[in-house]
Amino acid sequence: MSQAGRRERAALEVKFVPDEEVLKHIAEDSGSMGNGSSVSGGEVYSFQTPKRSSKMVELASELAQTPGQIVAAGHSECPEKTAKTPQSSKRPGSNKAQQRSKKKEFVSTTPYRLRKRLAAPDPDLESESEYSASCSEEDEDDQKEGSAGLSGQKTSAKTKAASVSPPRNTLAKKVKEDKMSNLVEEYFEAHSSSKVLTSDRTLQKLQKRRLNQQTLHDLLKKAPLAYAAEIKELNQQHESLFSKWMLHLHWGFNIVLYGLGSKRDLLEKFRTSVLQDSIHLVVNGYFPSITVRSILNSITEEVLDHTGTFHSPLDHLEFIIKRFKEDSSLELYVLIHNLDSQMLRGERSQQILAQLSSLPNIYLIASIDHINAPLMWDQAKLSLYNWLWYETTTFSPYAEETSYENSLLVQQSGSLALSSLTHVLRSLTLNARGIFRLLARYQLEHKDNPSYPGLSFQDFYQQCREAFLVNSDLTLRAQLTEFRDHKLIRTKRGGDGVEYLFIPVDDSTLTDFLEKEDEDV
Amino acid sequence: MSMCSVSKGCFVFKPSPKKRKLSQKTVNYFRERNNASEDTDVRFVTCQSLWNQIKLETEQIQEDLNKQLFDNLVSFLRRSHSEFQEKTTEWTCRMKSREIPTAALVLGVNVTDHDLTFRSLSEVLQNNITPYIALLEAKDCPGIKNLMQKLMGQLMNCYIDVDSLEDEDHMQVSQNKIRCSMTSIISWYQNVTKKTDSETPSKKRTSSSRHWQSPPVVVIFKDMESFTTKVLQDFIVISSQHIHELPLVLVFGIATSPMIIHSLLPHSVSSLLCIELFQSLSCKEHLSTIIDKLLLTAQFPFKLGEKVLQVLINIFLYHDFSVQNFIKGFQLCIVEHFYSQPLSVLCCPLVDAKKRVNSLSHDQCENIRRLPSFRRYVENQASEKQILLLTADNFLKEITQKLLEDLYVYHENYVSVLRCLHVFTSSLPKYPLGKQIRELHCACLENRVWETEEYESSLQLARMLNKSDLVTMLQQCVEIFVSSSGKEFDKTIEKLKEFLTQFQELEAEAFQEQDGSVSAQKELQKKTDLYHLQKTLLELKESRRSKKLTKFEMLRFEVVDYVDSLVRTYLVPADHKTLHEIMYFNTASVLRGHLNAAPRVALHTALNNPYCYLKNQALKSDGGNISNKAPDICIVYKLHLECGRLINLVDWLEAFSTVVTAVEGPNTDAASSDQVDDIIHARFIRAVSELELLGFIKPSKQKTDHVARLTWGGC
Repeated sequence: MSQAGRRERAALEVKFVPDEEVLKHIAEDSGSMGNGSSVSGGEVYSFQTPKRSSKMVELASELAQTPGQIVAAGHSECPEKTAKTPQSSKRPGSNKAQQRSKKKEFVSTTPYRLRKRLAAPDPDLESESEYSASCSEEDEDDQKEGSAGLSGQKTSAKTKAASVSPPRNTLAKKVKEDKMSNLVEEYFEAHSSSKVLTSDRTLQKLQKRRLNQQTLHDLLKKAPLAYAAEIKELNQQHESLFSKWMLHLHWGFNIVLYGLGSKRDLLEKFRTSVLQDSIHLVVNGYFPSITVRSILNSITEEVLDHTGTFHSPLDHLEFIIKRFKEDSSLELYVLIHNLDSQMLRGERSQQILAQLSSLPNIYLIASIDHINAPLMWDQAKLSLYNWLWYETTTFSPYAEETSYENSLLVQQSGSLALSSLTHVLRSLTLNARGIFRLLARYQLEHKDNPSYPGLSFQDFYQQCREAFLVNSDLTLRAQLTEFRDHKLIRTKRGGDGVEYLFIPVDDSTLTDFLEKEDEDV
Repeated sequence: MSMCSVSKGCFVFKPSPKKRKLSQKTVNYFRERNNASEDTDVRFVTCQSLWNQIKLETEQIQEDLNKQLFDNLVSFLRRSHSEFQEKTTEWTCRMKSREIPTAALVLGVNVTDHDLTFRSLSEVLQNNITPYIALLEAKDCPGIKNLMQKLMGQLMNCYIDVDSLEDEDHMQVSQNKIRCSMTSIISWYQNVTKKTDSETPSKKRTSSSRHWQSPPVVVIFKDMESFTTKVLQDFIVISSQHIHELPLVLVFGIATSPMIIHSLLPHSVSSLLCIELFQSLSCKEHLSTIIDKLLLTAQFPFKLGEKVLQVLINIFLYHDFSVQNFIKGFQLCIVEHFYSQPLSVLCCPLVDAKKRVNSLSHDQCENIRRLPSFRRYVENQASEKQILLLTADNFLKEITQKLLEDLYVYHENYVSVLRCLHVFTSSLPKYPLGKQIRELHCACLENRVWETEEYESSLQLARMLNKSDLVTMLQQCVEIFVSSSGKEFDKTIEKLKEFLTQFQELEAEAFQEQDGSVSAQKELQKKTDLYHLQKTLLELKESRRSKKLTKFEMLRFEVVDYVDSLVRTYLVPADHKTLHEIMYFNTASVLRGHLNAAPRVALHTALNNPYCYLKNQALKSDGGNISNKAPDICIVYKLHLECGRLINLVDWLEAFSTVVTAVEGPNTDAASSDQVDDIIHARFIRAVSELELLGFIKPSKQKTDHVARLTWGGC
């Protein structure tokens, strides 16, 4: 190196790079990812903006009306078609009334906003008009709906869209000028109102029974998987890379798979086709009670044939590391489905897994799904993991991964809870059962009271005494301790320091339980 | 074994011992895809040996760069140690001060590289100063107890290493039993030192041997910032109490700035430390050296193309500043290149390459003929030669050998001329071609550098250099060419030397010229008349404008033109060279996909534009819109984009079923509509729970049957 050059570099080099340049580089780096489609960061990450409640319906009908092709906003509408949609035709009359009441409520929230809007200066004209339009339209809707009867809410939403759009177009130039201020305006608009502008409809009123896991599974089996051929082709593409995966694993890298769709089948295929002749460990990260400890345990117990316990996961890890360093012929492939699952995403778990994966004779292949999964890793962990990223978009449904999840729409069968209840109760004395039944009945009586805190201990004692179930509060306490140990009841202290007891089981299960008990008795 | 279980999440599969063969060789994975080519073994071996060579080189570089730092540290430790030794007699004095000698090691933000530095540091210390070294990391020491435990474990283990291995078991047992406290460390230390004393009785009690026999105990805190303040404070306070019994030295690894010590520790604690600051080499310099030694050398046949290098440098500059990651990327490039390019078998030292060319199979010859650069070459040949090249394997091999040789010569010359050009451009104002040689290298690889605007402007600036700068630059260039291995530079060196002598001759002439100009100035001073003054000034100006270039200026032009001609001959971009594909790895997209992936963008693309992945015409759409025949999850996702913070599930479901039933067509008869509805319901549930798994929504308690949206924007 030349003298001058050295002098140059010896001086501390601090160069301020403008933000745009950094952004450009980052966007450049990430932009041309996946199948050559470039997506700018602004599209992926942006601010919350206010949404009108009917927008989703609009989009839905738009999509529904244009099979196979895409139509820009503001197209001609055909009310007959929208009226035919199942929701409007199926909705019973009672729903209408309910909906109207919702509308009224919605309107009642508007005046303040309206006032605020009207007081705003000219530049906001655009958004103002939109808001006042939508507000007045809600009124209109309301009246219309009273008379129109069958014509669904959606059609009115459509007319609204049509009526709003023309003034918008005339203002287009102005909008451009005020784009920046509008952005700011929109941001605060979206964040200022804590009011939730969604309809109040609930699934219960839909008169659609909640599906349980089994029926859901059966139903989905009946529904054909869309684009099966294309998905298969996609999978074959990924499968052709298996030998490359192995090559990279043996060069000291670990592999992480990302992309939309379940990667479980792909990994399973990899396992059966390539790993048959070597020791491997499969970890179902999506399993709700998976822990790092159980992973470490299965390595020590089943791979290393070591019996014995460890004080802490760190000791455990140290032992494993030592064993793997001693015996270089020992090789272990670790496949982790959903490394980003609820149970494994913690800092400590990731640290341990990262250290494990940094061993030269442990080969890790993991999949991630959550959009924020990469945030789990800091630079130190990333360097331990030594990832090579593979995009494996499969579009396959996450059947196994979501089956454990307490989904919102899936009815919890509660069969497990019920059987455990009866099981435990059966082993108790008659008096103890009576105590429990008393508490359960009391809880069911108050099930409609949302602020029901539970049964206070004193009241409970009184009732038990009256039923000749206990003779002193000590015996009751002893009994309650037993319940608590079996997690049949839970206690919490109220604001006044009184102890409240309740059964942490949902009402339907409790009803079932009582019915069954009554049969037995 | 089924892998769906409600009680278990881990499954171990052990092949039966009969079936279990010793682990398959890595080379097999190399082979699998390219069954046709028989050179895979050779390629694999070449790849491996090249990587090992490069790895050794990088380690060597790292060692060299850290040498200065480590020397300073070692001498610091010696000093602190000797102080302790001298003052052993006057312990009282020591007790009063209670200061622990501490080295604050500022290592920079590239945390990932620190591990390697610490490893070599402890090695150096072990060889030179003391066997008693403990490396502590914050993640192992959540409390003072863990810290002491870790410390003792490491110290006593290293004691075992010093001692014979026989009593390892004994020590292991006792280590667990000993209560972890400072006193036990001290008693251990006294034990150890006494033992070594007794082992060398001859040297006992002489001052020089004392120096040897009670080496300091070095405790290294790898990541000082991550330690809990409490733990650090406690440890420092406790150990300062015992400093007179235990010659403790602390080393703090600091990633940010030395100020962190004072913000982490209160004055009462930091006053117990006697801190000396050590600064490690900046990671940018480290990278420059790596690039210098790995890429700008003819030593390694493997080269990085412009885009690939740019990707690696960008990851370094914009993401992590980690040299280790850069090397990892380099490793990946090597593997990729040898894996994907069958002709990479020729990517080896020239002597071997020539031999290998002779034994190339017909398929490989066809591979050569398929190379775009070779085709270009063939097109420029006479027609009979073209036929020979395309039909006769032997002739092709001959030519290939010649071309490979050309390529090697090109590399040798390229590096020297590049350095020479860098000498000129790196001192120009505003650095039109970049300050670092890597920037210049990228520019030269990208396209013909002399056609760029930046080059033009830097030449113009070079034409304005003053003499002394120009002379030093020329001297540097001469040095570069002399030390280079290229054989063609004899003439160049001569020419440059000639320039230098001409400059010296100019110096003598310059004096006379100066005299002349001085006299003109004097004449100017005589005139006092305004009109005349103006006239003379104009004349002077006129004469200056029309004046011929001075000899110096002529010479300067000549020098710059000469450098320009060198650049034009030697700095041809690599992809204009025939057979460059053999040496250069240029698939930047692969590298970027593996190292700098954007999972969220992939998800975004899949959800917004499924056609990217599922090549079905029904999914094809233009603009940002989505076809309504898209997979369920895409439709559900698209619908949820239209919602605010909370989403009503009922509305969502209805919107979804509107879309789906419209797609399936109105011809579904009413009888089965209920059934269909259930299926749609189920599909909706599946899509929603998938979105939940992906982290777009989460259940909300705010309102019944609502979910909260977690993202804004398109994804």
